[in-house]
Amino acid sequence: MGRYALRRLLQAVPVVVGTTLLIYWMMWALPGDPFAGRCGERACPQDYIEAMNAQFMLDQPLLVQYSAYMANLVQFDFGVTYNMVPVSTLIAQALPVTLRLALIALAVEAVVGIVAGVIAGLRRNGYFDTLVFVSTLVALSVPIFVIARFAQWGLGVNLGWISPTVSNEATWAELLVPGAVIATTTTAVLARLARTTIAENLRADYVRTAIAKGLPRSRVIGVHVLRNSLIPLITLLGLDLGSLMVGAVVTEGIFNINGLGGLVYNHILRLDSTVVVPVATLFVLIYIFANLVVDLFYGVLDPRIRYE
Amino acid sequence: MALNLPDENERPEDRSPLLEVEDLHVEFRTRAGTAEAVNGVSFTVDRGETLAVMGESGSGKSVTAQAVMGILDMPPGAITGGSIRFCGRDLLGMSAEERRRVRGEGVSIIFQDALSALNPLFPVGWQIAEMFRVHRGASRSEANKRAVELMDRVHIPDARRRAGDYPHQFSGGMRQRIMIAMAIALDPGVLIADEPTTALDVTVQAQIMELLAELQEELGMALILITHDLGVVADVADRVAVMYGGRVVEYADVFDAYRRPAHPYTKGLLESIPRLDQVGSDLQAIGGTPPSLMDMPLGCAFHPRCHYRRETCVTTPPPMYTVGPERASACHFYQEVLDDHGDR
Ligand SMILES: Nc1ncnc2c1ncn2[C@@H]1O[C@H](COP(=O)(O)OP(=O)(O)O)[C@@H](O)[C@H]1O
Ligand code: SF4
Ligand SMILES: [Mg+2]
Repeated sequence: MGRYALRRLLQAVPVVVGTTLLIYWMMWALPGDPFAGRCGERACPQDYIEAMNAQFMLDQPLLVQYSAYMANLVQFDFGVTYNMVPVSTLIAQALPVTLRLALIALAVEAVVGIVAGVIAGLRRNGYFDTLVFVSTLVALSVPIFVIARFAQWGLGVNLGWISPTVSNEATWAELLVPGAVIATTTTAVLARLARTTIAENLRADYVRTAIAKGLPRSRVIGVHVLRNSLIPLITLLGLDLGSLMVGAVVTEGIFNINGLGGLVYNHILRLDSTVVVPVATLFVLIYIFANLVVDLFYGVLDPRIRYE
Repeated sequence: MALNLPDENERPEDRSPLLEVEDLHVEFRTRAGTAEAVNGVSFTVDRGETLAVMGESGSGKSVTAQAVMGILDMPPGAITGGSIRFCGRDLLGMSAEERRRVRGEGVSIIFQDALSALNPLFPVGWQIAEMFRVHRGASRSEANKRAVELMDRVHIPDARRRAGDYPHQFSGGMRQRIMIAMAIALDPGVLIADEPTTALDVTVQAQIMELLAELQEELGMALILITHDLGVVADVADRVAVMYGGRVVEYADVFDAYRRPAHPYTKGLLESIPRLDQVGSDLQAIGGTPPSLMDMPLGCAFHPRCHYRRETCVTTPPPMYTVGPERASACHFYQEVLDDHGDR
């Protein structure tokens, strides 16, 4: 298993190189001069623009720029932004906020999605099952930013239960509603998956055996059915961890949260690749890592899985 | 926690048979219609006896077994009539909790496909030990110890070490042994084996049958053996119930049934194999197709395939005629069938 994990991590190297190069190239290909508009009303002096271009190697060919940049990146030297703020400081401020948001979303998905789906699967075609069906349909068909705006307006402006925007501290309590908003889609998918998985497993032969063994129903379901149903659900949750970080970008914008999403967004607008590339790299790494954890966890959950 | 099994010293005339099934009716109500899967099945088995249940697939053997175990899919299944009595107690009338306790303790079952019947995610020892932990409240270590003993008893080599392995790490025969170990864990009165060897290699089939016979001898339980294998029936069964279209069409001592069948269907089954003691032969070689349970033929269900058919067969369903002591046939013309074998 250790060797399998190592091999998977090594496989990540070309993926990281490829994606960073792609992002670097896209930033480079954006039209406009990042330094031209930085001096207020007047045009910037030509020697300032030239000096900046030289400092950030923008006068060099793309591959030279990229190699120098990556050489620094692997030494954890993230450099400074065009505003001369250390990139590492910005990331260190924003990362915990986004992580908090993602963890809240993950918790909402796991608890609400799995509980609702399991109950619906156990009582198929009942009242609760119909409720889950309708609410997941709504959750899946309304775009996230509409739900976000609605929550902001309804809970924040109208009812005044929450502050419509999140303060700079971005506490757990403040992030609860935005986290739940990001979670809607996956919660709905998870609930439906849990429902079908439970219903399918209830029909399985080993469940019939469990009943024939004279086990109480609570044990048949709580131990045998649930344990077998967990595998696809955990897989979905784990894979979602990666998308949650990226998905936070939209919601962070609406609730004015100073997380990684907002950081990237603002710097793309300024044509400043210094933040965009490391944050994107971080996203890729988290994604790959989440996948690996899911894969390894899969082996823990299912003894039939082998790693070679 | 033990069930009220009949006392060995009780006089035979005072006690009811261990398991009595009487006029059992099971229906499946599906969108396509109502299938009368079991249509008035009756039989009894006692301690130490083996009852073989034979019949083409779809004749209601498994559904009967599931009804006895209380593991029918309900819905779509429903028991619409009859009674099932275990040690004189009506299984269909008791509470869900009482019924649960009979499963495993009083009546156990093993299935055709042990791989899918075992939970893939738990070690086999754990799955056996679960019987002791749930029914007897045994501690984890005590239950594990008993599980290893049982694995030893069903001749799984290196039982202590293998108890931690998962079902997929065993061969088909070993998996069926594990199922058997689980089923006999609580020393049940009745063991139902629903085609226990159909999915196995011929040599392994024989070993499993040997094991079942050996355990039955040791434990003195009643064995209901559902099988396609006529050779096995001849070897191990005391009595045989031949099923057709959800009914028992012939019920007899194995020796009598084989020597002189009293029903054309039994006769057809026996003639479909060249020699009775041949292992691994199948029951499929009778002309025609099994009846549709949604649309049973009027009169005798077997009449479209029967060489003895007359007018009466098409209009009047045959009752269960008493052919002799402990012997019955659902054929208007059983005497003719018997007579055809008189010279054997
Ligand atoms: N779960 C079920 N749902 C609907 N119909 C069923 C179900 N189980 C069995 N049946 C019906 O009962 C009939 C008898 O099945 P079964 O007892 O399994 O036959 P066999 O004699 O081969 O064991 C089948 O042909 C099928 O029509
Ligand atoms: S009752 Fe008639 S059709 Fe049915 S088995 Fe007997 S002879 Fe054949
Ligand atoms: Mg069957």
